[in-house]
Amino acid sequence: MTNKKEDIDVKLIKHIQEGLPITKTPYEDIGQALGMSEEEVIQRLKSLLEAGKIRRLAASIAHRKIGINANAMCVWKVPKERVDEVGKIMASFEEVTHCYERPTYPDWEYNVFTMIHGYTDAECEAVIQAIKEKTGLNDYVILYSERELKKVGVRI
Amino acid sequence: MILSDTDRKILHRLQSNLPLVSRPFLELSKELGIDEETIIERIRFMIDKKFVRRLAPIINTQAMGREATLAAIKVPEDRIDEVGAIINEYSGVSHNYLRKGKNKHIPYNMWFTMSAKDDEELKSRLKEIEERTGLTVRSMPTTKKFKIGVRFKIY
Repeated sequence: MTNKKEDIDVKLIKHIQEGLPITKTPYEDIGQALGMSEEEVIQRLKSLLEAGKIRRLAASIAHRKIGINANAMCVWKVPKERVDEVGKIMASFEEVTHCYERPTYPDWEYNVFTMIHGYTDAECEAVIQAIKEKTGLNDYVILYSERELKKVGVRI
Repeated sequence: MILSDTDRKILHRLQSNLPLVSRPFLELSKELGIDEETIIERIRFMIDKKFVRRLAPIINTQAMGREATLAAIKVPEDRIDEVGAIINEYSGVSHNYLRKGKNKHIPYNMWFTMSAKDDEELKSRLKEIEERTGLTVRSMPTTKKFKIGVRFKIY
């Protein structure tokens, strides 16, 4: 039973992951293509959002094209016992779009990763400066992207 | 090509959830004070001109039972295109960037994210990349998430 429900969810996601129809009644149109009612499409999407399987039903923006050209990955060396406290501070900045803790290696001791998006490098670096001041951290590296080799959304 | 204020207003709103109602763009028209036809026409335009990649579900790979990682690799300058092409062949690779440390030298220059249906498949694909390229891949899966939500300030 559960499997069947999930199969239909997967079928629904696969059908719309390249984009919803941009029409007055997108959910009805999806339903028609998949042989389900508009109400069922809406309910399934609601459940998927509530379960966190879908983070958002929203636009993915080509940020470079609208002028958000700077994308800095800033990695920080944070003492283990300060990771929680510092992670929350970093996440509170609007320009910080992602903030994660990741494992270290002998040649890689930076354990907290922040992605910062801005219109300019200077805007990103002002955020990094503010994070430094608020956390007192000083060991970090700013990694700018030099070339985009691939960028697509996550698909199932 | 420059987007109008109306376009930017629509774009900003579209980064949050599309209402789950029969006429979602009619709902947006009430919020934004822009009529439904215009909203639909401008979204189509922005998708057509590639300002918007797509309006679609943003999938949580882990909640869908998939495993994902950020991987880093040191690629010699003259092999970047070749190694990049090998990595990008995998459908689970959602992005791949060449990166350089600004204030310090870093040991890796190519950074990509990969997801797979489970941990076993993920590890075997990373191993396959190592075998095909002869290079070491450093896998850095998330151990803790503080924020994930790519929404941009649009002005």
